[in-house]
Amino acid sequence: MKTRLASLPLAAALVGLPAAAAGKLTFKDPSGDDNGPGKYVYPTDTVYKKGTFDLTEVTVEKKGDNVEFTATLGANLEDPWKMGSGFSLQMVFIFIDKDGKAGSGHTEGLPGLNIQFAPDSAWEKVVLLSPQAAPRLKAEVGNKASALKDDVVVPSRTKGSGRKLTASVKASELGEGDPSQWGYQVVVQSNEGFPAGNDLMTRKVNEYEGQHRFGGGHDGECDPHVIDTLAGSAKGDASEVKAQHDMLKYECAEDGSTKSPATLTMIRQGK
Amino acid sequence: MSKKSLLRGALALTATATLLPALPALAQDGPRLQIGGTTYTKWLWGNLRDQGALYNFTTIPGEGYGDNGQGTELELLLNARLSSQVEIRGRIHSRFSQNFWTNFGGFGGDPNKPCVNGDCGEFDPRSNQYIKLRGMAVTLTPGYLVDSATIGANDFGQFDPFVIGRIRYIDRDNAHGILLQGSGFDRKITWDATRISLPRLWAGPSFSTGLFHASDAAYGFQTKWSLSEALDVGGIFNYVNDAEIAPPSVDNNIDDGRDLTPRFRNGVGGVKANLRVGDALDVRGALYHSYANADPVLSPANFGLNGFSPVPAGRREDQTYQVNVTLNDPLDIGLSVNLQGFSIGADYVAIMAARRESDVLLTEGHDGSFAFPDPSNSSFGVYKGNPTKIGYGGWTGETQQLATINVDNDFTDFDEPFAETAIGWKGFTVNPVYSNGALDLTGEYSFITYNTNWQAYDDDQTSYLKTPYPTAELDPGVGHNFRTAYQPFQDKRTHIAVVRGKYVVDVAKGIDVFGKVKFIHETDKRINEARFLPYQAGACSEDGLGCQDLRNEYAPGLSTADTFGNPGIVEVNGQRGYQWKPFTSLKDDDRLLRYSTFTLGAGYQLTDDLYASLSYTKYLADLFDGNTAFQAYSQHQMASGFHNKNSILVKAKYILAGVEFGLEGQYAFGTFEPDFGDGFLPTVADAQTAADHNVAVGSLGFRNRNGGWNSLETRDFQHYRMKAFMKAQF
Repeated sequence: MKTRLASLPLAAALVGLPAAAAGKLTFKDPSGDDNGPGKYVYPTDTVYKKGTFDLTEVTVEKKGDNVEFTATLGANLEDPWKMGSGFSLQMVFIFIDKDGKAGSGHTEGLPGLNIQFAPDSAWEKVVLLSPQAAPRLKAEVGNKASALKDDVVVPSRTKGSGRKLTASVKASELGEGDPSQWGYQVVVQSNEGFPAGNDLMTRKVNEYEGQHRFGGGHDGECDPHVIDTLAGSAKGDASEVKAQHDMLKYECAEDGSTKSPATLTMIRQGK
Repeated sequence: MSKKSLLRGALALTATATLLPALPALAQDGPRLQIGGTTYTKWLWGNLRDQGALYNFTTIPGEGYGDNGQGTELELLLNARLSSQVEIRGRIHSRFSQNFWTNFGGFGGDPNKPCVNGDCGEFDPRSNQYIKLRGMAVTLTPGYLVDSATIGANDFGQFDPFVIGRIRYIDRDNAHGILLQGSGFDRKITWDATRISLPRLWAGPSFSTGLFHASDAAYGFQTKWSLSEALDVGGIFNYVNDAEIAPPSVDNNIDDGRDLTPRFRNGVGGVKANLRVGDALDVRGALYHSYANADPVLSPANFGLNGFSPVPAGRREDQTYQVNVTLNDPLDIGLSVNLQGFSIGADYVAIMAARRESDVLLTEGHDGSFAFPDPSNSSFGVYKGNPTKIGYGGWTGETQQLATINVDNDFTDFDEPFAETAIGWKGFTVNPVYSNGALDLTGEYSFITYNTNWQAYDDDQTSYLKTPYPTAELDPGVGHNFRTAYQPFQDKRTHIAVVRGKYVVDVAKGIDVFGKVKFIHETDKRINEARFLPYQAGACSEDGLGCQDLRNEYAPGLSTADTFGNPGIVEVNGQRGYQWKPFTSLKDDDRLLRYSTFTLGAGYQLTDDLYASLSYTKYLADLFDGNTAFQAYSQHQMASGFHNKNSILVKAKYILAGVEFGLEGQYAFGTFEPDFGDGFLPTVADAQTAADHNVAVGSLGFRNRNGGWNSLETRDFQHYRMKAFMKAQF
């Protein structure tokens, strides 16, 4: 199949991404890199099927007064816990850097993700795609990320269908500006209805995987709780696997605290 | 294995050798106990006026069903990490059961009374707000030999619902055992091994593992190998051993200790493969083979015509397979298609397979809304004094299919998923999924035939009344019974077609408009060979004045006349005729169900915290269920006729900073027009019949062969019920 795909250079050039087509941004991500910094593995319960957290594409499109976000994953979405939105397992964070200015925006990630952003990739807004009801999510944001809550956008509804998670938010909730000119970074995690500690409804990554915990990380809070993310130039080529692993590199101190955190950068159109 | 792990392993061994000196080191890590919890309060309100328990459905003897009452549960979640290698978790949980607010703390009560309505107070744990230990387990990650070892409670959802499923009995983590997990080759190979103590409550013939249960266990092993990014393969094996102390006839020397002898054994093996052909195509397949032996000395050798057991008797061996193909939006227009082919063997036995909460088939299956179909609102509805069950409303949630007859719907509410057995099912499902902007559409077409389509259980030399197959409540009514897999005579086909849609109307915050159309066409010819007819041709006179006992034998000494008795003669207003129609034609026991549902509803986010929806569903169930079948299987009212049922459903969810309120209220109403065909003389209810069965004096009906009364009058039904809850996490 790879050979066949490689025989279609014209098609590949046509979809060379990220690109803006009539105001629509498309970011690609390679398949099979749903392993965070390189060693993360899925929880062991059978609901977590191969590709469940494997980001393959993200689109951002302005539609009238709304901006529609779509994240495509590597496996069909399922709703084993009957949450009613067509999916139960995923939670996707779409961080937006509107101005691209160093020192403008937030460089800290959201609670539980254990990431930071480079100064020139500080974010102004983040959109949460979650199967949880919006009021529950907002309440969690208020309790656990109160300092950031004004910049956390929770869509009133997020739907899962096929392999796509889709949510639409009012452009006014994102503030002024042209979404096609903004920088984006997307983090894939797992929805957790009973999050531990200060986690924002996401699942832990430990050294060893458990029934509902990711493995391959660290038992402390120094490792990024990120299963997949955009990297490199987000065209979906194989080099972006290494770029992701490099971007999510982290270092822990002896006591499990952070010595050197994973630092994410934004992806911008044509850059 | 990493250097770090090796070092950690060596340190751990040293620590074990010199335990006391190691303790201060552990203390430095500082065990951190986290305590969280939830409190859950439920209100039930309905016009069945039952208060047996705070669940809409349970079959627990002495506990029963409830649609009224209020109660509160507490759950404390405990978690402690003694070190990075040792974690302890557990729950302390109170149970609803008969824990009503009206018990006022559980004092008083009479221990000598049957405790069926929460009236035994402190003398009965079901009504004294009791607390139970749940989910207690220690997880070790030593860093050598195994990745992790979990000792204690688990739901075993790591395995496979066809073999070792998520095991639930009231709670999800009531099963206990030892679970070892490991990996190799940079985790490209993973494995899990377990020993699960066999649940003596249901995991054996006749829902029992016998008297000696302490060493009964299920042993499981599974492995998965990721050969490449595109392909992974796996295997699973499970062996169940239910042993008893050997009787003196087997063990005549107890000086060397007492021997054990098997009561029930069950081995299941499976292989699985997942292939990803590019981003647009996934293929997944699984094949299972099972062997079971329920020893006929220590467990029932047969079940008669109405036996209860989660497994058949005797030696059984069969296969099950499933192939799934997913076409992921190949045309890039938002249209994906899921395809599934499946065959679950009639004799496939996996006692540890999932018994609810795992849906093993793609199809929606039947519909829970007519489970326990009782237009009379009674359980086994044609008999005087029988208690009520879930009623005309049925379940409103999804339907799940399971690869076992050990299906469990106990301790459920009407808004929860309803589970039915899929043992014996074979066929295919096509499931297109379309999504474009604000519109979502999904469809289904399923064709199901059955490995259990047979005559006289496929053994015409043995009496079907000595069957090794447990038939439970057999297969009557619109929705049939959820555990029914086996009938003595079956020739069944099922077609299911579904279209669901959802559209968000861009008004204000967006109005969710949703709808569903579902059709089921199901036929069952039951007896389809003339040699199985109970009586010889011409045994019954056509003028309705009597039958001769001319038994028809399909094998020497074997006849269905043992079940299908001839009717008596009744006289009504001077007219004489048959009490019920004689069984003289192959068509007399045929079943035809034409079932359709239409749902339309809308939901809206009324405030930032409150979401509400209102929907209306029309159910039309036209069932002709064989006008002789009722006399054969009359443990249930057959409900043959036309059901016109309507349901108005209100749902609301209110979330306020950590506290969640939910409400589901239903008003169901409709009519049932019985149609048991002709060829018999309806009887008029006398005063005693009217009093016993809540029908009008002088109304038409007939008495079946067991004396139950089947009304022939059109019935009007009104059924309301509500479940509201408050859940607070802290």
